[in-house]
Amino acid sequence: MNEVIVGIDLGTTQSAVAVVDSGFPILLADEDGATLTPSAVWYGQEGALEVGRAALRRSGVEPVVTSVKSLMGRRPSEADGRLTPEGKIVTKRGEVTPEEVSAEILKKLKGIAEARLETQVTKAVITVPAYFHDGQRAATKRAGELAGLEVVRILSEPTAAALSYGLDRLGENSRVAVFDLGGGTFDVSVLEMREGVFEVSATAGDTRLGGDDFDELLAKKAATVLSFDFDGADALERVRWMDEARRVKHALSDEDSVTFRMPFTGEVEILRSDFESSMAPFLDRMESCCRRAILDAGIEASDLAAVVMVGGSSRIPMVKARVSAVFGRESDLSQHPDEAIARGAAIQAGILAGTVREVLLLDVTPLSLGIETMGGLMNVLIPRNTTIPCKAGEMFTNAVDGQRSMSVTVLQGERELAGDNWKLGSFEVEFEPQRRGQARVGVEFRIDADGILSVLARDVSTGRDTVIEVGSAAVDVHEAKVEQMVSESIEFAFEDMNARVFEEARLKAAELLPAVEMALAQAGEFLKPEERSGIEACREGVLLALQSNLAPSLKSAVEALDQATETLAAILVERATASLFSGS
Amino acid sequence: MDAFLKLGLPRKLVIDSRELDQVVREISKSAHPDSGGDAREFEEVRKAGEVLKSPAGRLRLALELVEGDLVPRGSVDGQVMDFFTPVAGALQKVDEFVAERSASRSALGKAVLDLRVPSLKNEVELLIGGLGELAASLEARFEQFDDDGWESCLSSMAETARALAFVTKWQAQLRTATGKLFEALLGG
Repeated sequence: MNEVIVGIDLGTTQSAVAVVDSGFPILLADEDGATLTPSAVWYGQEGALEVGRAALRRSGVEPVVTSVKSLMGRRPSEADGRLTPEGKIVTKRGEVTPEEVSAEILKKLKGIAEARLETQVTKAVITVPAYFHDGQRAATKRAGELAGLEVVRILSEPTAAALSYGLDRLGENSRVAVFDLGGGTFDVSVLEMREGVFEVSATAGDTRLGGDDFDELLAKKAATVLSFDFDGADALERVRWMDEARRVKHALSDEDSVTFRMPFTGEVEILRSDFESSMAPFLDRMESCCRRAILDAGIEASDLAAVVMVGGSSRIPMVKARVSAVFGRESDLSQHPDEAIARGAAIQAGILAGTVREVLLLDVTPLSLGIETMGGLMNVLIPRNTTIPCKAGEMFTNAVDGQRSMSVTVLQGERELAGDNWKLGSFEVEFEPQRRGQARVGVEFRIDADGILSVLARDVSTGRDTVIEVGSAAVDVHEAKVEQMVSESIEFAFEDMNARVFEEARLKAAELLPAVEMALAQAGEFLKPEERSGIEACREGVLLALQSNLAPSLKSAVEALDQATETLAAILVERATASLFSGS
Repeated sequence: MDAFLKLGLPRKLVIDSRELDQVVREISKSAHPDSGGDAREFEEVRKAGEVLKSPAGRLRLALELVEGDLVPRGSVDGQVMDFFTPVAGALQKVDEFVAERSASRSALGKAVLDLRVPSLKNEVELLIGGLGELAASLEARFEQFDDDGWESCLSSMAETARALAFVTKWQAQLRTATGKLFEALLGG
């Protein structure tokens, strides 16, 4: 009998576990018959612990750890204050790491699988967002190990969804895009399916974009109307607002307006159209990723046979509408938004266990891998969208006589400046003492099928290989220090705050005044008369305030002009964008 | 590594790209670690596929195979150098636009800058189109090289390789620039 390998979707808001049974992927239900487990963990005193729905029931009353996925592989400086400087989460039971919290969720899923399958489960395929970098993938793998699972593969979520979509279409040769908008992350991948080979040609995404953002948008909107200080509120109170926001968000998918109700605070009517217009910046970011994936795949949107949408937030009508607009077609909604990824993970588990044959997945590395050069630039060694596993080599030599080592910093990202990319870590290349340029060490960078990097150094003169540990701890300490320095310098600068406010406002005025002139000439005719006169009045206000030399009055005048010109800006953008995208 | 040998293909510069894809896919299937293959073998097959897929890569490999080394210096076709100034100019304009837009402080300021985008995009696309035609005309020489035998047209092949190297690099840079335009525009 083949060994059991389960497929696990470790999601931001909910998780699921699945296996392939008689060639067909099925989700495993818990004792209540539920196939989706909320990704929530509650820590009580004296070792008390609850996971999933039981934990979520305490939400808003006691601290419950949720959305831990967005903390996986993050440094404290990237965690919006949710992590201590040591990278821990504070709970009633003491400090825990994001990996430990994820491990509790994985243990729960492992337990569900073992109860259903009536056998021990020790191996799993776990999915991650395609756009997760090395550190986030490695953290997920560690979480699996903490839960007593051998993680046989880290699989990208959109790729998993594609497997689920493609399993009963193995005879077809086609190219599809998978759009995956989950609770906290967004990915889009373009794949080619041919003779059972699922080959990813390009992937793009944003690991800080998902349903949670929309909840926050709604909570803040309601808070503003009800004069509630959302940002300053304590954690439990914020959870209650977010929970209500989530309910409103779901209801707005079917209704044009929904009442946001906070007991003891008040009620506010939320219009779907308002919600939709405030989503625009997020939709723009999604569109940008979609266009990049198409561009990177070297295709036109019209070459796609289907656009498969998954992830809970793909239920939002405005998201569907934007996706249709970008790809120029109706999306394929045949896959269950919350289940497709777990099913795909189970299929990959089946491939690895040997129970699913005739199917092979070729995934890519989402981010370019490179090293920092002398001038602080990034030198790309493995470009993004290279099929994994893959490798690249680089030769290092000593710059001065007798140099014993040099430090190499490894980066992931697409920016030219090294500092703008994610620092994976650094390592030392050791040299035998020799004359300048004589010592030669070849370093091999390999990205395995999990998308995780390993580094091997070979001393050319001795022929000796050493596995290099790429350490990231040093980077963290450094970042914490920088943050401290920045916050200190802000305090010192407080005295010249007034001067700075004036200078900021002056610069903005200097940009706006000529822009208003030009915009009115270009698109003034599309404005209503009262809009136009409003802009004129605000412009006069700015000109007057500029003479006053008073920071607060200039600031408010500039802000008024900024607001008055919103419609005008929107008209201009619409005209520019329309002509841009109609061509392609 | 002889990519032709690795993939079991005849040493020809004229390649049917669909056939190449097919061969790479077939070998990938058995070489991938998930189907019991060896990771290093898989990596080499993919690498070989990449080299042959790119006309510039194929030509460079061909030169290496017959001559042992590629001459990096030498004359470059005037037709190619005609693109140098317009490509550099367009790339610079895109970079300037991206920098100005990200420094812009107001929605209207950004909107006014965005008015430049259609003409910028058009400029970049015209260049990509022109370079595409040029690449095709350079590739058209491959048949002659195959027919005459690589050994007898080394200098012509080397010149074509240099020209293709420029064209390929510019095409990639211009595609990156297009991506930057979208990202600046949609990045808010």
